Amino acid sequence: MYELARKALRLAEKAGAEEAEIYYAANHSTSVNFRKDALENAKDRFSEGIGIRAIVNGAVGFASTNSAAQIDDAVEVAVSEARIRESDPDWVGLPSNEKYPTVSGIFDKKVETLELEACIEHALTLIEGTKEVPGTLPTSGGFTRAKSKQLILNTNGIEIEEESTAVSGFVDVITVNGQTSTAYDFGISRSLDIDFFALGKNAADLALKSSDGIKIEPQKTDVIFHPFAFSDIIEEALAPSFDADNVQKGRSGLIDKLGEELAVPELSIYDDGLIEAGIETSTSDDEGVPSQRTTLIGKGVLETYLYDSYTAGKSGVMSTGNSSRSSYTSPPAVGLRNVIVDYPQTDVIADTQSGIFVNTIIGAHTANSISGDFSVEARNAFTIKDGALDKPIKSLMISGNAFEILKQITGAGFDVRKVGGIITPSIRVSDMSVIG
Amino acid sequence: MTIMQDIKFYDCRVIEGSSTSIILDNGKIEEISRNFTRGAGVRALCGGSWGYTSVEGEIDLKQGVEAASKLAFSMNASTPKEDVELAAVNPPEVKNLPEVRIDPRDISIEEKVDLLKNIETNAKVKGINSTKVMYLESEFKVEYRSSDGIECAYELMNVGFAVSAVASENGVYQAGRESRFGYGYELFKKENVLELAGKAGNTAIELLKAKTPKGGEMPVILDQELAGVFAHEAVGHASEADLVLEGDSILENRIGEQIASPLITIIDDPTLHEFGYYPFDAEGAKSKRTEIIKNGVFNSYLHSRETAAKLGGTPGNCRAQGYSMPVVRMSNTFIDNGDARLEEMLEEIKDGMYLIGSRGGQVNTGEGIFQFNAEKGYLIKNGELTELVRDVSLSGKTLEILNHVVLVGNDLKMTAGRCGKAGQLVPVSDGSPHLSISKALVGGA
Repeated sequence: MYELARKALRLAEKAGAEEAEIYYAANHSTSVNFRKDALENAKDRFSEGIGIRAIVNGAVGFASTNSAAQIDDAVEVAVSEARIRESDPDWVGLPSNEKYPTVSGIFDKKVETLELEACIEHALTLIEGTKEVPGTLPTSGGFTRAKSKQLILNTNGIEIEEESTAVSGFVDVITVNGQTSTAYDFGISRSLDIDFFALGKNAADLALKSSDGIKIEPQKTDVIFHPFAFSDIIEEALAPSFDADNVQKGRSGLIDKLGEELAVPELSIYDDGLIEAGIETSTSDDEGVPSQRTTLIGKGVLETYLYDSYTAGKSGVMSTGNSSRSSYTSPPAVGLRNVIVDYPQTDVIADTQSGIFVNTIIGAHTANSISGDFSVEARNAFTIKDGALDKPIKSLMISGNAFEILKQITGAGFDVRKVGGIITPSIRVSDMSVIG
Repeated sequence: MTIMQDIKFYDCRVIEGSSTSIILDNGKIEEISRNFTRGAGVRALCGGSWGYTSVEGEIDLKQGVEAASKLAFSMNASTPKEDVELAAVNPPEVKNLPEVRIDPRDISIEEKVDLLKNIETNAKVKGINSTKVMYLESEFKVEYRSSDGIECAYELMNVGFAVSAVASENGVYQAGRESRFGYGYELFKKENVLELAGKAGNTAIELLKAKTPKGGEMPVILDQELAGVFAHEAVGHASEADLVLEGDSILENRIGEQIASPLITIIDDPTLHEFGYYPFDAEGAKSKRTEIIKNGVFNSYLHSRETAAKLGGTPGNCRAQGYSMPVVRMSNTFIDNGDARLEEMLEEIKDGMYLIGSRGGQVNTGEGIFQFNAEKGYLIKNGELTELVRDVSLSGKTLEILNHVVLVGNDLKMTAGRCGKAGQLVPVSDGSPHLSISKALVGGA
């Protein structure tokens, strides 16, 4: 298919497209998975396909296929769809070729050539880690390595090709005696720098420490969110409002708020497609606009929304390099790159007299992505007493609002973690409403 | 080839299909896209280890079987364990597929766009400032073949739509959503889609004025949709035998036990022509009805061939998204009708909350706890529905809720959706009649 991408671009022009774009993506992943403490299966997945955007008279058509035999048809369909649509006055054009930054750390030859036997080893290491903690058993988990290749071509001269790798490990653990409790841990990276043994051990440790939880009274208190929990809130309750498409369509809680003090002055949040070895790092975004670092919130002030080339054209600004696709089967839309949460770090638990520490939350995806309201179930939560974790809490509901949280942040830990593309320390928020 | 002597089972699924989506956003066509796909998934079993290969595009099945076999062989060689046995399946008969009266492919794109515009106009009631309508259509053909001689195939076609409307006032945003999925373009005639669109708009407007209630423990009534989500998320997932074997289900070793109020019967039935329908599953096993809970007694897990052999049971609930490796899944899952009417429930409950609709939720099957967000609710005072509330959630322990059910309605209704597990989405439906529950934890402000 890779060889056919250029041909597809010419075909689209020949079929009458005024502008056209071919997005080619290929992925090969190998994973080894376990159930309880025994390896269960190994999976090898190959995926490859192209997505075609064709523009006729300011209207866009899109089609995709993974079959070489159907490329001609898909190109025809994309062009004829564009013809059906009315001209879009907000369409400015596909991006043009520019100077591109150099990024590093996103491809690791060792990951590309990793043999099945090595994958098995890493999966076994995850299991061994859990065995360090008696009284627990892994329920499921696995190791995955992946290699991806992407090619973006358009009729404005863009031709960008990039290869990347990723590895990840995941483990879910349950306690075997007394009151049941569970915990998980995971790590994802561009190269093999994850301590899989530690992942297994941490998850098992956390499951064990979480058992025999107590009930607590409903109250307002300081809550420290572990990076896993905080990144969930950012992604589901806050990030959608930064999306310029949502802003333009009246679906963002941040409309007309540019320049406003949105957060405490110690807080900055960046969207960054360039950081070394980031999971969302690449030379360009998914339509060929150079990646960049964008200050979303600078010292508490909302500085910009996130744009792809379409939403940027509509607002008469420059794209922030945030065009994103989940696969070759979908047309591009605004998406996050690496998001960095920056707040002065301290030993945040030690600095907390009393409060609650929350490792993970469930139900973040039920948040109201416009208003920022959320109500979630906290997992692996602990009371904090005199600067240390004290007792596990059996069941805890936390309700709040993502925008209000930004104004109530009072601390951050040293424990910065890459949770996929979101890079954050533990964050302390005052005055959170909890129901035990 | 020596490896093949040690491979005691393999199977292949070839899937070919296409899909169309149209998105109308704030009156403008935002997207028309069409996708053609072809691919295959191949499994091979060696001793106690599975190998799996999936390939997109042009497929060489022989090569696929060899690659999967090699993975299974290597896994088994490096970590040998107890052999996996597979429960037997008989070749399925493919008949009684959902009828499609109007093939959506016979309807022009222009007509579909007009329909969406109509839906949008109806959703845009006074006070709505943003709308989005999505149309989805897909058709696919599945061919299944296994080393134990089963060969079968079927074709299915889905259509559906989703509409959302957003209203805002003084920095408060609220959304209303409705969706319907089914088989054949006649869905748009059968369901009153324009009325549904209006309902989405009105919900958003109503919610603007709604208050956030004080949370706490109280008696609740769940509407059909939210109770259906409970049946699926809290009970259905815990009855999936793969989770049971992982030690990640509170229903492990509970067969034959009274785990719920005797009023409760929960069924999974892929033969119903609801959105979770299939004639045979991803292992070529004929689809069949399963009583998960019968009159409060836990009756059966949901099985794949592997789990059925291990725990004793009948396969038929192993499913996959596209070419992914199949896992144990639900189909159409529901709480069966009782005999109570909603009015009776309100009278008996006196004070509490009526929770309506679902904005999703999550469950921990190992600990048996769950959390669901309702779309909205009404405070019940003295048996009367009073104030409308929003941002309400229901959480608690699955088994406690099942035992706290005091009345089961006679008004079962199914809702179509997609269920995620193991990174795969499959079409399902879930449903229930109204349920009255004596005590539950409601989250609010």
